[in-house]
Amino acid sequence: MATKTLYRRSRTGEVLTRLSAYLAIVMALILTLFPIYWIAANSFKFDIDIFAVPPEWLPRNPTLKHYEEAFIQRPFLRYALNSFLVAVGTTIVSVVFGTMAGYALARFNYPWQWRKQISFWILSTRMMPPIVSIIPLYLFFNYFDMLNTKSALVIAYTAFNLPFATWMMKSYFQDLPVELEEAAVVDGDTRWGAFLHVALPLARPGLAATAIFCLIISWNEFLLSLIITLTEQSQTLPIGIAGRVTQYNTYWGEISAAGFMACVPIVIFAFIVQKHLVRGLSLGAVKG
Amino acid sequence: MLKSADDGTLTAQSQPGGGLERWAERHLRYLMLAPTVLTLLALTIFPSLYMFYAAVHRISPNPDLPWEFVGAGNFARLLSDAQFHVALRNTILFTVVAVTVEFVLGLGLALLLDKFIRRLTFLKTVLMIPMMLPPIAVAITWKLIYEPQFGVLNEIMYRLGLPLQAWAGDVNLAMFSIIVADVWQWTPFIFLLMLAGLASLPVEPYEAAALDGASSWRQFWDLTLPFLKPVIAIALLLRVMDALRLFDLVFILTGGGPADRTKVLSLYIYQVAYRFADPGYAAAISLFVLFVTIVLSTWFMKRMRVTD
Repeated sequence: MATKTLYRRSRTGEVLTRLSAYLAIVMALILTLFPIYWIAANSFKFDIDIFAVPPEWLPRNPTLKHYEEAFIQRPFLRYALNSFLVAVGTTIVSVVFGTMAGYALARFNYPWQWRKQISFWILSTRMMPPIVSIIPLYLFFNYFDMLNTKSALVIAYTAFNLPFATWMMKSYFQDLPVELEEAAVVDGDTRWGAFLHVALPLARPGLAATAIFCLIISWNEFLLSLIITLTEQSQTLPIGIAGRVTQYNTYWGEISAAGFMACVPIVIFAFIVQKHLVRGLSLGAVKG
Repeated sequence: MLKSADDGTLTAQSQPGGGLERWAERHLRYLMLAPTVLTLLALTIFPSLYMFYAAVHRISPNPDLPWEFVGAGNFARLLSDAQFHVALRNTILFTVVAVTVEFVLGLGLALLLDKFIRRLTFLKTVLMIPMMLPPIAVAITWKLIYEPQFGVLNEIMYRLGLPLQAWAGDVNLAMFSIIVADVWQWTPFIFLLMLAGLASLPVEPYEAAALDGASSWRQFWDLTLPFLKPVIAIALLLRVMDALRLFDLVFILTGGGPADRTKVLSLYIYQVAYRFADPGYAAAISLFVLFVTIVLSTWFMKRMRVTD
């Protein structure tokens, strides 16, 4: 008897947990997706429908007008291209340097505990808030006449992408068995050759994930670009969007279109790196 | 766990090539590290030192005028600058409330959904989208939702028969509005890390506890929470670091207003440096922020050793 009631109670409990879990998932999905849907929906509405009260939940009269405004009449295509070039430049520098450093820190010993200390010093540079370095960077780029250039953005972004790439790659290399590289060296390969021909190919998934995270971080960056860039020659997409939110007017249709377009590649990237999200977002500290 | 590293002595076997190649091979461990270390030295140490130099000067917006040495003057101003105190208080308020809410929601959801969502990678990734999005896109999305005249939120208030609000434009609700947008973007981050932590929990202690008849509440306090501690420490500290540098959301949603209610440190530094054209003083405030960050991140990195 006693066991029976116990059994029954735990069963109802389980059904309740299951029910509340499904309810929570549905709620979370709605709350997550509605804002994204909303900006997409508004980007396809005529101005008059954006301002409709009550709001028009589905665009009744869809239009590509705002995409034409933003990407053809106004220089948002240029902004997107700048964002893309800066992101690619930053990613190449960060991944090449970071992979070598990550490998060195995962495999080699250094005198006086340098390994640990350099690792943590590199991480600490990632912790530096960008606002802290805007003044010296501004003066520095001003001095070298590099304000308003894409190379200045690449240099500034590398400062916080490189520590990220180093720690990510370090954590991936630490997961690889060292024996394979040892075998290659025994077979007559150099230490550099063992890295290049053995470790690097094995770390390819990690390499791809690190590169995509670097692309995302650079693509999303706002503050440094706000300081360094002045004209559409170097301004990135987030700056272009912010520029259409003025004191007097907010160009809702245009920024919705540009904002939604800024999100699309990120969503694609998110699915490509979904297996690496935990590691990427914790700088390699938590292995998902 | 720290994996034992080899000491680079594997190189001795055979060394083809000339002297330079042999030299490079022997010093490989330094050569591979050098580009990163030199780049970061140039991009972080140099600016930091330069900032100390700037912080003890009054710098005129006119580049032809020389810098005027003011010693600790800029730091003394920190003590009496009411705007700085407001910005500091707002930053602390934002950080504490936003990170706490994100943590409670993220951990709660992870505990509730762990068993149901573990294999649903696609669903998990969908829930993770907000934190990957450009903060500027998130900011304009919420600006659209908060819009007092035609925004969705006031429509919901109206349907529920509640008073309409100005949200980001309201003195009392502005900070709340910023926090809600941040919680929307960053709760998934805590959720994701907690799920990863839960997935790595050992099974045996729970079996033993169940045999001993421990309630699920006891199991949570005595087993789950202690096991999760390293992951929690990492998640919280990464969030705190990010919250301290909040800029984009405020810049778009409120511009620091109304009545300075959402003016945070990053925004204030930006205003001092550019709008008030006082880079010397901005450097002094930046050094204060840097100091706080170093203290926090040192603590953080000690925690990292737990899982490294």
